[in-house]
Amino acid sequence: MIPGPFHYHRPTSVAEAVALLAAHGDDARPLAGGHSLIPMMKLRMAVPDHLVDLAAIPDLKGICEDGDRIVIGATTTQREVIGSDLLAARLPILAETARQIADPQIRTKGTFGGNVANGDPGNDMPALMQCLDAVYRLAGPDGSRTVPARDYYQGAYFTALEPGELLTAVEIPVPPAGHGYAYEKLKRKVGDYATAAAAVVLTLDGGTVATASIALTNVASTPLHAAAASALVIGTGLDAATLKAAADAAKAITDPATDGRGTAEYRREMAGVMVARALAKAMRRAKGA
Amino acid sequence: MNAPALSAVIGQPVSRVDGPAKVTGTARYAAEFVPDGLAYASVVSATIPRGRIRALDTSAAEGMPGVLAVVSHRNAPKLPYLERDQRPPVDPKSGDQLRMFQDDKVLFNGQPVAVVIADSQQEADAAARCIGIAYDETEPTTTFDPGRGRPPSEETAKGGRPGAAGRGDGAAGLAEAATTVDVTYVQAREHHNAIEPHATIAQWDGDSLTLYDKSQWVQNVVVEIAHVFGIEAGKIRVISPFVGGAFGSALRTWPHVTIAAIAAKMTGRPVRVELSRRQLYHSVGFRPHTLQRVRLGAAPDGRLTAILQDAAAQVATYEEYAETTLQPAETTYSCPNVATAYRLVEMDTNSPCPMRGPGIVTGLYALEAAMDELAVALNVDPVALRLKNHADINEKTGLPWSSKALKACYETAAERFGWADRIAAPRSMRIGTDLVGYGMATAIYHADRAPAEAEVILFANGTAVVRTAASDMGPGTYTSITQIAADELGLPVEAIRFELGDSTLPMAPVHGGSITLVSVGSAVAEACAAVRQKLEALTGEGSIAERLRANGLDRLAASAKASPGEETKRYASSAFGAVFVEVRVDEGLGTLRVKRMTGAYDVGRVINPKIARSQCIGGMMGGLGMALMEAAEWDPRFGKVMNANLAEYLVPVCADTPALDVTFVPSEDTVLNPLGAKGLAEIAICGVAPAIANAVFHATGRRQRHIPIRPEDLIGT
Ligand SMILES: Cc1cc2nc3c(=O)[nH]c(=O)nc-3n(C[C@H](O)[C@H](O)[C@H](O)COP(=O)(O)OP(=O)(O)OC[C@H]3O[C@@H](n4cnc5c(N)ncnc54)[C@H](O)[C@@H]3O)c2cc1C
Repeated sequence: MIPGPFHYHRPTSVAEAVALLAAHGDDARPLAGGHSLIPMMKLRMAVPDHLVDLAAIPDLKGICEDGDRIVIGATTTQREVIGSDLLAARLPILAETARQIADPQIRTKGTFGGNVANGDPGNDMPALMQCLDAVYRLAGPDGSRTVPARDYYQGAYFTALEPGELLTAVEIPVPPAGHGYAYEKLKRKVGDYATAAAAVVLTLDGGTVATASIALTNVASTPLHAAAASALVIGTGLDAATLKAAADAAKAITDPATDGRGTAEYRREMAGVMVARALAKAMRRAKGA
Repeated sequence: MNAPALSAVIGQPVSRVDGPAKVTGTARYAAEFVPDGLAYASVVSATIPRGRIRALDTSAAEGMPGVLAVVSHRNAPKLPYLERDQRPPVDPKSGDQLRMFQDDKVLFNGQPVAVVIADSQQEADAAARCIGIAYDETEPTTTFDPGRGRPPSEETAKGGRPGAAGRGDGAAGLAEAATTVDVTYVQAREHHNAIEPHATIAQWDGDSLTLYDKSQWVQNVVVEIAHVFGIEAGKIRVISPFVGGAFGSALRTWPHVTIAAIAAKMTGRPVRVELSRRQLYHSVGFRPHTLQRVRLGAAPDGRLTAILQDAAAQVATYEEYAETTLQPAETTYSCPNVATAYRLVEMDTNSPCPMRGPGIVTGLYALEAAMDELAVALNVDPVALRLKNHADINEKTGLPWSSKALKACYETAAERFGWADRIAAPRSMRIGTDLVGYGMATAIYHADRAPAEAEVILFANGTAVVRTAASDMGPGTYTSITQIAADELGLPVEAIRFELGDSTLPMAPVHGGSITLVSVGSAVAEACAAVRQKLEALTGEGSIAERLRANGLDRLAASAKASPGEETKRYASSAFGAVFVEVRVDEGLGTLRVKRMTGAYDVGRVINPKIARSQCIGGMMGGLGMALMEAAEWDPRFGKVMNANLAEYLVPVCADTPALDVTFVPSEDTVLNPLGAKGLAEIAICGVAPAIANAVFHATGRRQRHIPIRPEDLIGT
């Protein structure tokens, strides 16, 4: 399978990239790791005339700390996310999630920004970004703006990104030291997208949950921030009844499709199991067990 | 039992002699030959399940760059498709094979309806997409409805796949039973999915035709194509030195071979047809979807009083492929009353074909799962139940076994596995939150042998060449036959070159049904003996090289033919085995992992324990795929396999591989053949799927009567 013909651009600055994207509008696409875009081009599900490769733009790369936030450049690879000492210390859930994406080859090329910008409900990072209440920095012909991850996804492959815009970085508020976290992902086969997955970050006050945030991957046409489920675990010790209630509340907002990974009923059920297991694991971690 | 004769090479774990060529990429597979002027074909497949081609617009395609020809029923040569005197064992016994481009009929979705030939594969593929076809559709039959099942034709029945068979009185045996089970099992359509796709290069030189083909039987390709084109077999040569896996999909001569020859004829160029992964799902065969009902009856002591097994399998409308699905019911256990009923359910699909352990593995799945249900009903150990019903002779034919060490297989495998630790009650074993299940099953696969010829040439430089038209689709034939020759000639393995995969070489039977080693190996051993005799007749002494040189010879050759004899009328031969499996089930997710598998096999003398083990672990993984993953997702609206790719058709990968333990129990079968071997291929996939299904029951307490068993089957109530 070979993609159709396209023009290839390799800008060296964000401004140049944005200019190219703006000039070609709907006919242009940013190219990052290519591990979602190129397969889609081979299948003719995407037929861009212009590819704007982001690889030669130094400003888009890297992970840094900015006060109480961590900022990850768009073309930072998933492998770099896994290898980052800073993230390991402050946001270990990122590496835990990245390790469950595809396989080492894909993680070596695939970028963090491509994963969140893409809009494929199967991508793992978007739900995690919603869980962490991250904010996306977008650059466009009219300047820069920010969009919260929780508002970015509108439907499968439909996002708040406008033609001509580029995602330059993601800002993630760092949860307090000692927070509990877990990304639980069920796969049909090794390296697959999620049958269902859940991200949880929580903090404790004594033995009870002080703050909690839950989000879900691949059980609807967009990632889902499970606000009701998150709210109902606060103030509890995550007893069995609460875990079940949270799982039920999360299941209630899912709308999975029947596919090769299982029936809709199965996938909804699994979303609940993932939530319960991620909550329990996050709790154990918060307690330092 | 006699200890096998001591040998310096037989029984040694010699590494594959073809290994270096394969890992360095110098081994040439069918699609990799590049005759001068090679052109490339792209096959256009029908997109409706049944009907006629009303209009075919090839004008756009014909004008595209690099396109040499577009061939369809409108311009293809009329081919005679002569009937063969006797159909080869790899072909269905009745019905008509698919004819290429001879009329406007569409018999299934995916049928080849045209082919584009161009200077490059890309140009051919691009043009193929630009062919416009309008169809007149007729109401298709795309559902598997067992109610439409019909018995096989007389020809098929005569070929060992009867509509009804058995002994004694099945109904009476069931009526007298103290304990019975009556259960129904479904097995999904499965595809071979060898790594190497099917490919053929056809090259005409005047009226002579050379075919580079992926084939398990090069000499049958010659005869088949001679009949299709009405030309002399002597004008055709088929070359297939390496085969990248086949599992039965390359036994027959498929339509794309004919397409390659037509395309080459019409363009005057050598032409390559290489099927895409997607096309493989409708251009070659598959293991048919099969529904089975098993009724077993047993006396209070566990002795079987009746085995009734019915099977209904999908079949194409144009050709009648049937399987030996119900043979295990007749041969596996001792039982006075056996009744089987076989039905075929016609559907608009391409024809199924043999896939590793054809028929037997399907019938054994249902029989061995039902035996487990009977063991539970009787409250006896599954191994004990099988021992109680051990078949001391083949009760189907009444003949004694030429060798049988099945009891040793049960004993050895149970011991190595630790079966004694199993707590009989289901749901009673756990590790952490996982349920643990142990299951087992019997493996059986008949051991056959066919006539074969071989030639051996000794050279004055101390090397030898062994030649026969066999194939090696991956099991290690190159290596094991080389070992046999080395042993017979007293030469090191490195001094021998084994040439195969060329139809001009001495006659060899089909490379399938686990018969190659005993058939071809026996011929090679005899040819070696013949050349040694010639050598001994020469004057002088010393090594082979010294003797030849002393007599002024640069080579010495001999040929031999080896055939099975009267023993086949006096004995029944079979390989046997016992498979034990541990599964772990996460009940929250329904996920199921096979943790470990132990198989003990009675396969006669083991020529090479290293490649023999590889055969077995490959078969185990095939069985794991069958039990838990592999299934064609068939959409009856289109009569089409929807997951025709390796992303969505799941096969087990390294990460799914459990600890695999393989042993061979002491065994030698010099009745079947002088080498004492029994053949080792199909046996390794037999019994694996039911052992897993039985372990799943033991873990969960819930019977899954279908394969593959999927996570969603194991959750909820
Ligand atoms: C076999 C396979 C399995 C996979 N499994 C998983 C999995 O389990 N989980 C998972 O999360 N992902 C999975 N992926 C996807 C993989 O992680 C991709 O690499 C990732 O989704 C996209 O990142 P990329 O850098 O490759 O982006 P690209 O493929 O280059 O781009 C993807 C899309 O995002 C746009 N884009 C990229 N960068 C930007 C930007 N900075 N600003 C605006 N738009 C941008 C592109 O225009 C394109 O539309 C898998 C991929 C493969 C091939």
